[in-house]
Amino acid sequence: MARRRILWILPAMVVLVSLSIYPILFSLKVSFTNQQGDWSLSNYSRIFADHLLHVSIIQTILYVTVALVIELGLGLFFALVIDSMGRGKYFFRAGFLAPMLLPPVVAAVIWRLIYNPEFGVLNNTLKFFGFATKNLTWTSGEGSAMASVILVDIWEWTPFMFLLISAGLQAIPGEPCEAAKMDGASSLRIFKDIILPLLKPTLFLAILLRAMDLLRIFDQIWILTQGGPGLATETVSLYIYRTAFRFFNFGYAASMSLLCLILVTVFAKNLFGMMKMKVA
Amino acid sequence: MKKGAVYIFGGLGLLFSLAPLYWLLTISLKKEVDQFASPPLWIHFTPTFEHFINAFEVKQFGKYLFNSCIVATASTIMALLLGIPAAYSLSRLKWPRNQAEKIGFWILSNRFLPPIITIVPLFLMMRSVGLLDSPIALIIVYVGFNLPFVIWMMQTFIREIPTELDEAARVDGDSYLGALIRIILPLAAPGVAATAIFCLIIAWNEFLFALVLTQTEASMTLPIGIASQVTQYEIRWGIMSAAGTVAMIPVFVFSLFVQKYLVRGLSMGAVKG
Amino acid sequence: MTIAVNAGVEGQALKEAAQDWGAKTDTSIKIVELPYANLFEKELLDLKSKTGAYDVIMLDDPWFPQFTTGDQLTSLDKMYKAAGLNGPDGDFIKSTLDVCREPWATGTYYALPYVGNSQLFFYRKDLFDKYSLTAPMTWDSVLLAAKKIGAGEKMYGYVMRAAAGNAVVTDFMPLLWAFGADVFSADQKPVVNSPEAVLALKFMLELGEVTPPGYTGYNADEVSAQLLQSTAAMSINWPAWIGPMDDPTKSKIVGKIAFAQVPSEKKKGQAELGAWLVAIPSGSKNSLKAFEFIRWATDSEQMKTAALRGNPPTRSSVFDDATLLKKFRAFPTQKASLMGSKPRPRTSAWNEIENAFGIYLSKANSKTMAPEAALNEANKEITAILNRNK
Repeated sequence: MARRRILWILPAMVVLVSLSIYPILFSLKVSFTNQQGDWSLSNYSRIFADHLLHVSIIQTILYVTVALVIELGLGLFFALVIDSMGRGKYFFRAGFLAPMLLPPVVAAVIWRLIYNPEFGVLNNTLKFFGFATKNLTWTSGEGSAMASVILVDIWEWTPFMFLLISAGLQAIPGEPCEAAKMDGASSLRIFKDIILPLLKPTLFLAILLRAMDLLRIFDQIWILTQGGPGLATETVSLYIYRTAFRFFNFGYAASMSLLCLILVTVFAKNLFGMMKMKVA
Repeated sequence: MKKGAVYIFGGLGLLFSLAPLYWLLTISLKKEVDQFASPPLWIHFTPTFEHFINAFEVKQFGKYLFNSCIVATASTIMALLLGIPAAYSLSRLKWPRNQAEKIGFWILSNRFLPPIITIVPLFLMMRSVGLLDSPIALIIVYVGFNLPFVIWMMQTFIREIPTELDEAARVDGDSYLGALIRIILPLAAPGVAATAIFCLIIAWNEFLFALVLTQTEASMTLPIGIASQVTQYEIRWGIMSAAGTVAMIPVFVFSLFVQKYLVRGLSMGAVKG
Repeated sequence: MTIAVNAGVEGQALKEAAQDWGAKTDTSIKIVELPYANLFEKELLDLKSKTGAYDVIMLDDPWFPQFTTGDQLTSLDKMYKAAGLNGPDGDFIKSTLDVCREPWATGTYYALPYVGNSQLFFYRKDLFDKYSLTAPMTWDSVLLAAKKIGAGEKMYGYVMRAAAGNAVVTDFMPLLWAFGADVFSADQKPVVNSPEAVLALKFMLELGEVTPPGYTGYNADEVSAQLLQSTAAMSINWPAWIGPMDDPTKSKIVGKIAFAQVPSEKKKGQAELGAWLVAIPSGSKNSLKAFEFIRWATDSEQMKTAALRGNPPTRSSVFDDATLLKKFRAFPTQKASLMGSKPRPRTSAWNEIENAFGIYLSKANSKTMAPEAALNEANKEITAILNRNK
């Protein structure tokens, strides 16, 4: 009995363990060495004093929260909308999915072009409709950069939430809704009392999966703004990456990464706990 | 919601989704001097195919495309081969107390790892076994990326299937392996398709690890080729959009084909959570 | 033999030279082309772990101090000696040779200069003539001209880049130097918050008033796009962009741009040097061949061919060549700029310093921090970086 269940899971575990054990041990070792190569706790003490790191952590949390909430909301909304369509459902679905299929690198570059204050399509279209675009600098303006970057994330990843939730909707049996409708219940009521409870597991799964990826967001921001202007769009992954590959300070990068790992694990455990309670 | 409103909202959403992609397409077809024109040329421009030609003849994109195909397909297949039995074990076979859950959480936690933690050690590991600049290194790494995802999704799909079905097969004398292949897989086929497509997208579009673990075009993949168009002085918009457009096509076609299964597959997985 | 080159104009010429050489000597050549940032990362990673993946690498001169630490590059002095030769000849422009030596200008040769890149001042001669303005010699006159042109035409008088990091620092250096300031003092202490530096930054903000509003996020391509589309009249720029200015498929201002030296102010204007060098990683297994190649690629004949392919040369004789002068009207200006150019501070922590400096300069330009405060913070940060990296 035990042998069989372990045997079937063994190959997968071997792969995962070998790809994660060495990196974690290596990072632990490196995080305790300073630039000169001696044993030192300086990397960890620096974490507390590092103003740039603190700013990037706050901005990462901001980014994740805003993007997650909007993507969840829009994904849910459009999943419901498309689901209640008769003809053309597949056509609309295919179109909605498209942004997710584009390599993030390309998406970021094309949005950079779109955002260009002078030549970009966005400002030019707004100008055409009579809006004053002189101060709309999108990714170049410290105030608007974060919003602009989040917008790109929303464009590219709402399809993911949309897909997941659409599928969840498919599994909800139609009869209770039909019955409620015949009893005269409003759409909103049906949604709140019937659909939402059955949809909760899907929503939690979507939140969990998307949050994990958002916390590690890198490609898009790197190409769109490189963390600027100033520090406006600097997130933790960018800062860690720069420390590791530009300044070649792997020790400090490792210590920050381990800190992030701990924070994310704690967050996930809590989310898990909430999930189990609400579903049971 | 009223019928008309549904189509209006749907249309707006579609517009938002597709407009930038349409713009991408036009950039790949416009002459350079038109790309930055103000007011922007949505339709009134003479198309040119020079960027597509340049991308593929001059810039070795053919090789990048080939590498991407190999790496994405191989890693998806391997992830499924390793992940499905693991998912079956965790969801169908008897595990003591909370062990299955704990193992499941540990598996998922691999997705919490910040890339930096793994990237240099993996580089050193691959170097010591001489796998740098080989597609095999990327395949192994992507399998590692995708395994947690495969195991989690397949676990949920398998739990959807009533246990009586495969239990009946076993009572009739079938082995666990037989039950998996003959009963579970056909019923979970939609789930497999769904998982496959997500794995494919992840491997196809991945940039960071591809950058570090490859050194020459012997193993470099499409995202690197595309990123190379972002040079220090200029962005070769034309070539990059042409490449980006082409990069989208295989995945888009696959997703269209699988869309029917996709929705049904995920639905079976999501309800029980 | 494997060569790593920069994706872009500079890498283009070296690529073609490599292919020529490969055909000539019947050697198979593998070329790896990467964008600037990634080229740096991959090369440094390769050097530090001595994987020997690359036999010849192209590097931007500011990377040089970091690349020569710890015996990562092959000493060319040794190789010259072994071949019974004297070292690079005097035809190379001195400023480009100086950055190939560690320590700067006096030490061992670790690279040879391939791309003679130094800043130039681009301006619309046609508009200057229209408003009876003389060629801009000082930054004050640049500001005046920019205001005049901006008022009279439907365009911006000036354009620059202020995206955080390399972009803003590169565009700020000429101003910093022209106002008599520098990043480090004579005894290597950071002085970016000196009174002269503050004046320089304040002047940059004044220029910002006549620059398109999005400039706080601009990189090189946006700056050049403004010039090419005739929506801005002047800017600091690099020789790589001279070609496109006169190319009708890319430019709306063919023949209207003139090139001058970087303007002066309190001190004579000095262009920032951004030479691309070629070097041999110490992990390479083909160092003899690599050495042969880089010597061949940097000799006068090959430099001439490269120049015809759009590469700014590093040899005096090539700049003075009659046929080339006919084709490249800006060569005399480029040569003068190169001869008087100044490299960025030679420290292996430059990347980190540039990053920190760039953040605060960018903040000052987007008006979220006052100039004095920004420079003070920058100075503090740079001091901390130096201390960490002792």
